Amino acid sequence: MTTQAVEKNTGGIWALANPTRFTNFANRAIPMFAIATVLLFAVGLWLSFNAPEDYQQGATVLIMFIHVPAAWLAMMTYSVMSVSALGTIVWRHPLADVSLKAAAPLGAAFTVLALATGSLWGKPMWGTWWEWDARMTSVLILLIIYLGLIALSKAFEEPSESAQPVAVLTLTGFTIIPIIKFSVDWWNTLHQPASVSRFDKPAMDAVFLYPLLTMALAYMALFFTLHMMSMRNEIMSRRIRSLKKAKAQQRKAK
Amino acid sequence: MFGEHAAFIIPSYIITVVVLAAMTFKAIWEYKARKAELQKLEDEGYSRRSENG
Repeated sequence: MTTQAVEKNTGGIWALANPTRFTNFANRAIPMFAIATVLLFAVGLWLSFNAPEDYQQGATVLIMFIHVPAAWLAMMTYSVMSVSALGTIVWRHPLADVSLKAAAPLGAAFTVLALATGSLWGKPMWGTWWEWDARMTSVLILLIIYLGLIALSKAFEEPSESAQPVAVLTLTGFTIIPIIKFSVDWWNTLHQPASVSRFDKPAMDAVFLYPLLTMALAYMALFFTLHMMSMRNEIMSRRIRSLKKAKAQQRKAK
Repeated sequence: MFGEHAAFIIPSYIITVVVLAAMTFKAIWEYKARKAELQKLEDEGYSRRSENG
């Protein structure tokens, strides 16, 4: 890397790679993201509850507006964690580890929501709460991976000790993301093929598409708000840990 | 309002609200608890060099 490139990297977004600077940024950004989250949820719910009933699904289409964004966020959160894992492995940056560990419980919660609301949608539509089809099974595996990562990150006394193994396991587990995405194309499942993220135009009417996309934006805004809050909390807990160590050492010296 | 599917729609929204609210309150509660703990340590005279400028 040239000197000029290094100088460039010390400004802009790279400046946030310092925990104190990130905390200062988060203190300013969190209220703005929180307001955006509330507004997006208000608009998204208004659009959802004013959408007409689907000619096949009836009123259960309302479940789609909370189930699909939860499933998208379950995968998006894991993708954020995988980028953070690269940051830990390639640059060994402590903030990357903070980002990964702060996102894991959020991803697990979104996955639980996707599974629970999916089950509640499946019963009236498919006649079953659960089926071991490719999409549902792969999302369940994602939940198990999330829980494994949370358990592994808590298994070490020092957060820095768990950074590398958690990052390696996160990147290994990333293989589940394309499996979830393409499971409906690769296997015969109860789920229909992709109807929004397609190369041609979405196979969904605008009266359902706009509420769905607004709710997805609301979920994303909530994720970024909570992720910044959790990262700030993790940074604070590491500071507390090091200050307690300093306190114990001073007492020992006396 | 939701017809014959109310028994599936209402629990879906309740579960979603409960989980999203729990995530939010957990983050707020942890922030308050850690801020108080950091303040206590700083009042005792312990602070990080990076915070002293």
